[in-house]
Amino acid sequence: MNPGGKKILWVFAFLVVTFTGDRIGGALLESIVSQSKFRFSRLYRGEAGCDLLFMGNSRGLIFYQPYIEEKTGLQTCNLSYNAMPMSLATVLLEDYLDNNKAPRKLILDISMLDTRMDENLSTGFNCYTPYSARLRNFLKARFPKAYYGGRVSHLYRYNNEVFQRALFYWKKSDKDWLLDRVITPTLQERVKEEGPFLFNFTDEMLADLKAVVDTYREKGVEVALVVNPYYPPFAKKIANLDELIAAIEKATGLTVHNYADSIAGTEGFGDYQHLNKTGSRQYLDLLIKDGILPVSDSFGFSEGGEH
Amino acid sequence: MIFNSLPFLVFVAIFIPLYFALKGRARLLLALAGSYLFYGWWDWRFLSLIAISTLVDFWVGAAVYKEQDEKRRKRLLLLSMVVNLGFLGFFKYFDFFIASFVELLQSFGLQPSVSTLGIILPVGISFYTFQSMSYTIDIYRRKLEPEHDLVKFATFVAFWPQLVAGPIVRASDFLPQFRSDHPFEWDRFTKGSAQVLWGFFKKVAIADSLAPIVDQCFSDPMSFGSVNLYIAVFFYSFQIYCDFSGYSDIAIGFARMLGFDFPANFRTPYFSKNFSEFWTRWHISLSSWLRDYLYIPLGGNRHGTAKTYRNLMLTMLLGGLWHGANWTFVFWGWLHGMYLVVQRLFSNVWTGTMRTLRAPGWLNAGLSILLVYLFTNLAWVFFRSPDFATAAAVLQNMASLEGFTVAQIMNKFLVAKGVLLIGFLLLVEISDFRFNYSQLVVRQPVFRLASFAVLLWLIAFFGTFNSNAFIYFQF
Repeated sequence: MNPGGKKILWVFAFLVVTFTGDRIGGALLESIVSQSKFRFSRLYRGEAGCDLLFMGNSRGLIFYQPYIEEKTGLQTCNLSYNAMPMSLATVLLEDYLDNNKAPRKLILDISMLDTRMDENLSTGFNCYTPYSARLRNFLKARFPKAYYGGRVSHLYRYNNEVFQRALFYWKKSDKDWLLDRVITPTLQERVKEEGPFLFNFTDEMLADLKAVVDTYREKGVEVALVVNPYYPPFAKKIANLDELIAAIEKATGLTVHNYADSIAGTEGFGDYQHLNKTGSRQYLDLLIKDGILPVSDSFGFSEGGEH
Repeated sequence: MIFNSLPFLVFVAIFIPLYFALKGRARLLLALAGSYLFYGWWDWRFLSLIAISTLVDFWVGAAVYKEQDEKRRKRLLLLSMVVNLGFLGFFKYFDFFIASFVELLQSFGLQPSVSTLGIILPVGISFYTFQSMSYTIDIYRRKLEPEHDLVKFATFVAFWPQLVAGPIVRASDFLPQFRSDHPFEWDRFTKGSAQVLWGFFKKVAIADSLAPIVDQCFSDPMSFGSVNLYIAVFFYSFQIYCDFSGYSDIAIGFARMLGFDFPANFRTPYFSKNFSEFWTRWHISLSSWLRDYLYIPLGGNRHGTAKTYRNLMLTMLLGGLWHGANWTFVFWGWLHGMYLVVQRLFSNVWTGTMRTLRAPGWLNAGLSILLVYLFTNLAWVFFRSPDFATAAAVLQNMASLEGFTVAQIMNKFLVAKGVLLIGFLLLVEISDFRFNYSQLVVRQPVFRLASFAVLLWLIAFFGTFNSNAFIYFQF
């Protein structure tokens, strides 16, 4: 073969090897995602059916599932994720209903309604596009570069933290995902220096929330909107929480249950905005006491317990 | 234009085929026009600075060469220095010195009504200024003959692969390469491409994956448990290494594809056993520039111990200031100067201790590498911090050991990804050192093909594609 022919063959071989490897790698990673015990993998497999469904950003992770299940006797599913934006939450909650039995109750932490949430997180859900036309259309419309990047390279589809979590929870449950640290003394001191904290919410977020609430209520699902607790000195810095609550109540017609300042002390907090496991237990007891978290009708009777 | 951006991909897709389609003068003109387009894409107004430096040094170079009178030769060289360092001083340091002067007066209770000018720093000015200056200095020292072709000289100053972040290539290395026609060579082209891909991998996969952790911790160091600060400092050492050496690899790789050979700018610096060695492995083109045009003219190590230490300190202080108009960079330079001085003072003690303890060679080498790495990291804290208060907060938090637990680690998945990528980098560098893997890639087409494919897969799977600028652009 002449040198020119060899070079053409080399380029052709390179393209074939690169493309084939990308597809084989992509298929391998897709099999991990599809088998994973991670919440979104279960959602799209139709194995996330539950009585109590939770949604929120990292603050929604404080709905500590093992404790709720222990205390209520109900099955739970938590779709919360760090920095979850309302737009993506809407897509996931609608996909939940398409793939799973409607839950008895949806509990949603409203601190997602803030422009600080990471819109780019949505691109991390590229790894779930094979399972959802809604998600594909959402990404195509909002993040075309990421969407088409995932079409060109299947490996790129798995280049995100969401996939890494799916890999981490491949063979184990993700129900235990919650902070397990106590706020440091330095951080406790520094809260005094913090300026006012403002929620930056938009009409689009309110419309998304209303759409989700309406969809779930049409399916007969009870919906509860809550503000999860903040570290009390920090809660005092939130300047427009009442304004956010009023806007949400007006948009959805639902009452927002405000627990922003409900947990005292420092031991229950991981940082300003997040409860740890200890604080989560205190908070969940409060939700049960207030009837936000229902308790199974038959719960306890089989063991002869009292209510 | 930055390498990791869409406009640049379009630029190379047009430039490279056109470059090889043209020959002789037309190709040279294309290289110059392409370089000016590459630079002007950022801000075309600053092309005038490059053009003035080019014209002045072209003229001074020829005049110095012809001139026999030593005083006049010196004056001509001074003219080149004044123009080049004048631009650098004004655009890079004017606001800094004004602000420092105002702060000094304020510390004495005075309230001067002097304000800074808010001058925009032209990208890459420190690099092309040093490159251009080396030309006139070498002619003055009668080590180089002047270039008679203005287009060639202008291309040498502005050649796009290394224009904005080096390596700083000497005229004596670069200009003679214009004598060749540089026909398209498949072998050279693919070797260059492999180096470009490796550089992209280091930048978009490693450096940009480490950046979020580093940025988060240095933006508010007291908000996190100390374990995060240790991780951030460790990550920064590899972020800056991969960012800068990645850029150098891309620059050297593109130059190689186009027919030019540039010297290596990094050689596994974190495996250095002492600081002198570190500076022969880190940003080699700058450290050798400083050695040849500053340290040695100052007297180097030829005039006794005290003057050697003075020269080392001065060179490193100015090296620090070269990086940016901030006292933290100067302090970084000062620290490295101190390291070099202390090393000279105590190297015999170290060697003697190791001999007394009968420490095996591997232990001696391992401890030396570790010590150099740790002290380099200490200096990086000041280099990365926007001010001394931030650096102090980082070090204070680290020293407190408050929150030094696994549970306090933020963004565990990003941290795990970073550790994995650093591990991969070290594996490649160590295996390259031990088994000369890169030569295998150079010599064996099959390995080259496999390397291309593997790097593309790794970039697709680990890359960060939000066009983060290279750190050294700001210098």
